[in-house]
This record gives sequence, C-alpha cells and structure tokens, in this order.
Amino acid sequence: MASTFSFSIIPSEVAQFGPRLGSISLCRRDGSSIPEIKTPSFMAGCSRGVVPHLSRDHVKSTAAIRWANIPFESFLERLPPVPTLQPGPVPLHTFLGFQPDRHLLSLCAREPSDEREIPVNGKGFISTLCVRGVRKLTPSAWKSYALSCQPDIVVALSDNPLSQSNQSQKRVTKSLERSTAWLANLLGPVSSADHGYSDTSHPFNVLVNMVGGVEERARKAFAEALVETLYAKDQQQVHPLQRLDEGITGYVFEFIPLLRSIRARTVNNDRTNNTPPKIPPKSADGVSLDNEENQQLAALLKASLSPFPPTKVRVVYSCTSPHQILRLIRDIGIDVFDAPFVHRAADLGIALDFRFPVPSTFSPSSPRTREDGSRDLGHNLFNYAYATDSSRLASSFNAAAEPEKGENPICPCLACSPISPSSHLELSSAEDQEFVKSPPVIQPPYRRAYIHHLLHTHEMSSHSLLAMHNLSVIDAFFDGIRQVLGGPDGDGQFIKEVERFCATYDEQLEVFREAEVDWSRVELERGKGRLAREKEKQTQNDTTSTVPS
Amino acid sequence: MPVATQAAIKGLTPQQVEALGINLILNNTYHLNLRPGMKILKEAGGAHKFQGWRHNLLTVETFPSIHLRLVCLVTRSIDSLQDSGGFQLVSLSKFTKITEEGALFASPFDGEPTMLTPEESISIQHTIGADIIMQLDDVVSSLTVGPRVAEATQRTIRWLDRCIETHQKSGKADVQNLFAIVQGGLDPELRDQCLEEMIKRKDRVAGYAIGGLSGGEEKDVFWRIIKQCADKLPEDRPRYSMGIGFAEDLLVCVALGVDMADCVFPTRTARFGVALTLNGPINLRLSKHEADFRPIDESCPCPTCVSGTSRAMLHHIMTLETAAAHAVTQHNLVFQARVMGGARDAIINGTFPQYLKDFFANYFGDAGYPEWCVNALRSVGVDLLDGASQAKVVSGSGAKWERVE
Repeated sequence: MASTFSFSIIPSEVAQFGPRLGSISLCRRDGSSIPEIKTPSFMAGCSRGVVPHLSRDHVKSTAAIRWANIPFESFLERLPPVPTLQPGPVPLHTFLGFQPDRHLLSLCAREPSDEREIPVNGKGFISTLCVRGVRKLTPSAWKSYALSCQPDIVVALSDNPLSQSNQSQKRVTKSLERSTAWLANLLGPVSSADHGYSDTSHPFNVLVNMVGGVEERARKAFAEALVETLYAKDQQQVHPLQRLDEGITGYVFEFIPLLRSIRARTVNNDRTNNTPPKIPPKSADGVSLDNEENQQLAALLKASLSPFPPTKVRVVYSCTSPHQILRLIRDIGIDVFDAPFVHRAADLGIALDFRFPVPSTFSPSSPRTREDGSRDLGHNLFNYAYATDSSRLASSFNAAAEPEKGENPICPCLACSPISPSSHLELSSAEDQEFVKSPPVIQPPYRRAYIHHLLHTHEMSSHSLLAMHNLSVIDAFFDGIRQVLGGPDGDGQFIKEVERFCATYDEQLEVFREAEVDWSRVELERGKGRLAREKEKQTQNDTTSTVPS
Repeated sequence: MPVATQAAIKGLTPQQVEALGINLILNNTYHLNLRPGMKILKEAGGAHKFQGWRHNLLTVETFPSIHLRLVCLVTRSIDSLQDSGGFQLVSLSKFTKITEEGALFASPFDGEPTMLTPEESISIQHTIGADIIMQLDDVVSSLTVGPRVAEATQRTIRWLDRCIETHQKSGKADVQNLFAIVQGGLDPELRDQCLEEMIKRKDRVAGYAIGGLSGGEEKDVFWRIIKQCADKLPEDRPRYSMGIGFAEDLLVCVALGVDMADCVFPTRTARFGVALTLNGPINLRLSKHEADFRPIDESCPCPTCVSGTSRAMLHHIMTLETAAAHAVTQHNLVFQARVMGGARDAIINGTFPQYLKDFFANYFGDAGYPEWCVNALRSVGVDLLDGASQAKVVSGSGAKWERVE
C-alpha cells in the first residue's frame, strides 16, 4: 500500500444515519504520518494547487489546515502535467509545499465548486477546464497521474453531468455505467513494475463519487453495483478484490450537480403542475427550515448510502452554508466537508464571525441582524461603516493579546492573534542584534478599520489575513460540533443546538450578496476619478447604513 | 527599504516582513492622507499601530545605515508621486499648480482645489508619527529644462525653511527627524546652489535626501549628480537617495556614498513574475521555467527558497494566484537586503571593491557590464574591468531582463 488510511467511528456501533464522531489516521509507505484528524471536520480547498491567498509560511502557521483538497485540472494545461514529473518520495506534497507530517492531500480531477458550463463528458473521458480551455481526461491518464503524484487520497473519475435540465433515463444509465467502469479501472492492478507495487497491495486510497442524479432508484442501483460480488472478466479486472467496495476508502457527494438537478426537477414539476415556482420557505423560529429541497437531498444521500455499512468516511463537496453542514451531520452522518463559502468570504472581504454552539450573548460589535431577526455570518468589511471600527475581526472570538473574561475562545489566526517572528533573517554581520534576537511576542489583533483600508486600496494582505481568520472560524465551528456530540446526551443536545444555530444565523447569506456587489464595484471604479466616485457612495451609504459601527 | 505605499508591503503582513530581517519600511503620506485619512490614523494611535508595525524605535545611525529601526514616511510634492500604476513617475501636474504658498491640486475626492502647504505637510506627518519625515519640495520631472528648474530649486530651499520652522515649533523635533531634499534637476550648477544652501541648515535637519532623479534621465547623468551630492553632503548626516531600486543602481549609489534608498521595484517586479538573483533577474512567466524543479536560488535564505518552492510551481501560479506574488515578494525583498547586507559587511571588512567586482561579474558577466556603472565606479577608484579582460561593456541603461528568446 502506498499508505494506510484508516477511519474509525466512536463508538464503533452507530446507526446507519445520524450524527457521529470519528477519527482519521494516515500512515504512508515511507513511514511518515499525519496527526489524527477528528471528524466531523473540513478540508481546505485549493486553487491551482495553493490554498488561496496563503503563502507557504501562512499555511504552516494555520493549524486549521489539516486536509487539503487539490483539484488537478489546472495542471492539464501542459502535458505531461508538471506535478507528475516531480522527483522525490512525496511528489505532490513536495511540489505544492504541503508538509507530509501535517497535511493530508486528496486529489480530484475537477474543481468541485465550479459551476461553469462545460462540454459533455464522453464515453472514455471527462471534460475538464483549465486557463487554456477544455481538456479531455481519460481514466487511464488519471490513474497514471495519481500513481506519479502519490496523493494520500484520490477521487475516482466519474461521469457526473452538470446540467441545467433534467437528465433522460438513458443519460443516467450511461453515467452509472461509465462511473462504475472507471472506478474498476482505477481499482485494477497496477501493471507497471516501476511503481513497485505488488498485485496484492493496491496503491490508492480511493473515494468514489456517488452518482445517479435525482433518481433514488438510480442512486441505489449505483451503490448496489459496488457491493455486488463480481464474476469472471469483471472480477479479473479488479483482482484480488471480490467486490468494488472492498477497494473503496469512502464516499463523496458533489453538491453542485446534485442541487442543480434537484432545482431543475422542481422547476419542471412546477411547470407541469402549472403552479408558480416555490420559494424556499423561511420561518422566523428557524425550526422548519428543513424545506423540501433539504428533504429531497437527504433522501437522495440516504439512497446512495443505504447498501453500505456505516463504517466508511463520507465526504460532501460544495456545501453552501454552515446550516447545511449541521443538517447533513444530524440527518445523514457526513464526516468531512469542503467549505467553499469560507474561501469565498475571504475573496469578498468578509470576516466570518459565528460560533457553534451559538454564543449566549452578542455584543454591539457582533454582525448585524436582518429584518427577520437572523444574524449575519460575518462582516462585509468593504462597508464604509467599518472605516473607523477598531474592533478585532470577530466579536465571538477573543484575540490572544486581549483575553477577556467570558465564554469567548481565542481565535488563533494570525489576524486576531498575530505573533512577531521567532527568528529574523540575518543578512549582514552588522545587523542590529537586539532586532535579530528579539523573541516572539504576541501582538494586538488587526482591526476592522485596517482591513477595510486594505480592501479599499486593493492590498492583497487583506485577503491573506481574512483567509487565515475564516479558516480558523470554520475550524472552531467543527470543534464545537465535536464537543457537543462528545458530551453526555450528545445527539439530543446537538439537535437542540442545530435548531438554535439555524434560528440565530442568516442562511440566505445576505452578507455575501452585499459583499459581491461591493467587490464588483471596486473593479468597476478602478481608474481616474475613483476616489470621487467612492466619496459619493460613501455619503449615500452614511445616510442609509444600518450597520452599527 | 521596502515601500508600503498604502500602509502594507504588497501581499505581506508586517510579521512576515519582519521575519525577513527588515526593520525599516516606508509609507506614503500623500496616499495615507487620502485614505484612510488623518482622522482614522489619529484614532488608531498613528501609522505604526494602524498597520501593526512595531519597529518604531529611532536612532539615526551612521553610515552605512540601512538598518535603522524606524518607519520612514515620505512626502513628495504631488507631481513626483510614485503611484502603483506604472514604472514611470506619474505626473499629476495637470491637476497641480505650484504656488509660493504650496501645491494647489484638485482633490481626488471632489475635484475642489486643495492647498498642501509645507506647514501642513509637516503637521500631517506629525500626526502619522513617522520617525523620519520629509520636507515638502517642488519637484519637476528630471527631463524638464529651462527656468522652471531653477525656480523649483529655489522654492524647495524656501519651503525647507518653512518646514524647519514648523517642525521646531511643534515640539516634535526630538522624536521625529526632518530630512531635507536636495533638488536642482540635472543641472550641476543648480545642484551646487541647492547643496550649499541646505548644508547651511545642517544643524536643523537630521539628514538629506537626493531628489529629482530616477525619472527617466540618462544613467550617465544620474550617477554624476549622485556623486556631486554625495561628495558635498556632510559626513555626519545620512544620505537617502529616492526611488533607486535596481541592484546595480543601489551598489553604485552606495559606492558613491549614499546610505539609504527606497524603491517599489523589488516588490512590484515580483508581482509581475520577476525573481531577482545574483545572476540576474528571472522571468518566471517564461515557459522555460515550467518544469524546472529548482528553487529560485538554492543559496537564498528566504522563506520561498528555503521551503523549496520550485520555479515550476511559481510558473504555474504566477499572476493567477496571489500566493505567487507573496512568494516572489518575500524572495525579492531578501535578495535586496542580501545585496545591501553584503555591501555593509564588505565596507566594514574593507573588501567593498572586490564585492562590487564579484557582484557585477555574476550579475552582468554574460550580458555585458553597463558602461555607466563602469564609469561611475572608476570615479571612486574601483575598476570593474580590472582582471576581467574578457568582459563586454554595453552602453545605454544596461538593465538586465530575461526575455522570450
């Protein structure tokens, strides 16, 4: 084996569906391993192989990054892809600068949160996007790339069409057949002797994408094919495995195509029934937020998972909100999520400011509340109301330099708890020794006003600081989830806390929408006379703003 | 000294900058006055606190004094403003009218005429709390000729007096240090006049800047003006050459007797994908680097090279991910600091001429030595060609770039 990935659920006996605590460990062939990852947890997303906005030293100092998910498609710009040429024992870690003793790397073909239209997949390939256009990726190429890069986990290629309209039964059948065949190809013995694997030890930890669109029967059929005992030619292909599921490490759900198909079906049904399209209901108490879409989603996930024992790791790509994460943990028992909204927030200038369980009190520097009483998940720091705001980024976390009394945990990110460097480069013997030898000191947190200034002057460090902060907030969110689940009456308490969370925080993500407007405005206003235009906006904003400063 | 126009070294946090061994950065008063504005800076307790930069102890040390522990803020008159928009000095002179009272310009906020007087410029810098503050000067483009240059020179001297007056009265003269700016265009006579007047005021200024250069003038003229100023300026005051950033320019200036310099070049060129090395700049965007697994420079102690970031990886993310700009910015700042740190050591050890020879041989060995560097260094008794009989010499600016072949 290239590495041993093990996932254990605590306690070992759990229901098929429902919240669960788990633990991931990984030991590679070269003896290196990563510290245990406790689940439920999240993985950091990457763009072109890097955690967006973070330099390597920042990745190193962000404890929240344990598992990073690498979409491979950007490397298909050049063939053979450059990471496959990287020499050394852990090529992907080495090339991308992740630490083998700290980071688990999973490799998937496409960026899971990319919603752009793309040419359809073919019989023997999927379409991928890179800056030079569309590239075809075949299962055999994918297998050889994974062999060369040696990620800790590889997501099998699957035909999961991203379409706006309903898929025909024929298309769904094709998708199932292709995905199964491609999985079998990946799980098949590695012929090439140069990789040093024998027939009995398979080089990959494989996650499989659960396909089948919005048909429960189709999803179930795909899953059942994985646990079926194989015979004759089929079995030979994956020898020594008897069933495909034996070679699988865990299951993946891609929410972008799934949610899109659900919405397409809803619109279609509404059209045939001649009723206006439904707007997701939103109640003030938040209890009935489990709307139709969420129920459908849960039913589809359950259909995919029902043939399997509950012991393998379950992963969801492209969750849209922390609310959705909580419901998936509660209703299904999903273990690991990527969280594109966390990265998106950093791109848009939003400092996340929420906690699970919900804090018992909110201070005046907490995020604003909407008309319906729900609170924003963070602060849109582009807003002029923050120009003079000297608070730290998150009101629900403390800064290391300013520990206050109360329940707030300390946010360990380098924006809230910056620490001066433990060493300084000494580039001349005449260096001021007092400076060079100065010990690390915890420094005051960065203020909202400073980040606001950096955003308005297009300084990249605004996004770096926000990226580190937001990753730390989501890490604390998952930590909170695990603590509640690990307490006495964990499940019961968790259900209550989920309701409280959904009733407190705004799930419509209004703050993201506002930040998107502000963000695009910055692009539009670049150039001559910008300050004048901004001044005008600021005056308007001053009169209409409801944000407390 | 790296430039943080908007109170941030582009892409890096103050802690990252500090880890590189850098303890001196530069902000731009004009920009900070526009945004965030003096009110916000005042509320934040000054620029150091606002941007979380803690190296604010001040001792203006003597030559070679690049490692002063201070934050330097520079006000230049509006039409020599270096904006982040391009390589050239961006002239805002269309909006600016220099009168004896001050610089009258159209406010970028509302287009209203706004007057920046020498007195006001000093008081803004007092609010910001910089350790070194600059007089307001009347700069003309270094390509300007005619009576306007003389007028600007004389006015700069008069404005210096007004700045000194304000500064002395403010009671901040013992915590903030006022630098004069030597002007005079490219005319040696005007430079002499300006030098003479400013040296007379030596007891009331902490140091001298050499301004009005790096605006597209011939390199051959540039070094002669630097030399002229450096030769005359008093030994016990630091000399600061404004807007010098290429490694060869820096070393020539040091050889001619300059102590400090600032430029956006290392950080800006990093964002465009150019990594600086002792063998010349590397343009990481070129496809020749796409499968090169070596770091930018194996001997470099910067975080980028030490963590093994390959040229291939940087090529892959350059200009598409901000992380690429961060990585090369860290490298280039360390490169610049290494070049200057090496110069300091060589000066202390008495090996500076050899240091210059080695540097130029590595940096320009294959492309040819810029003629102006050879001439400039000969004027202080260093012959780059001594012992390098094979060396090629090229005329023109001689700046070295890696281009598509």
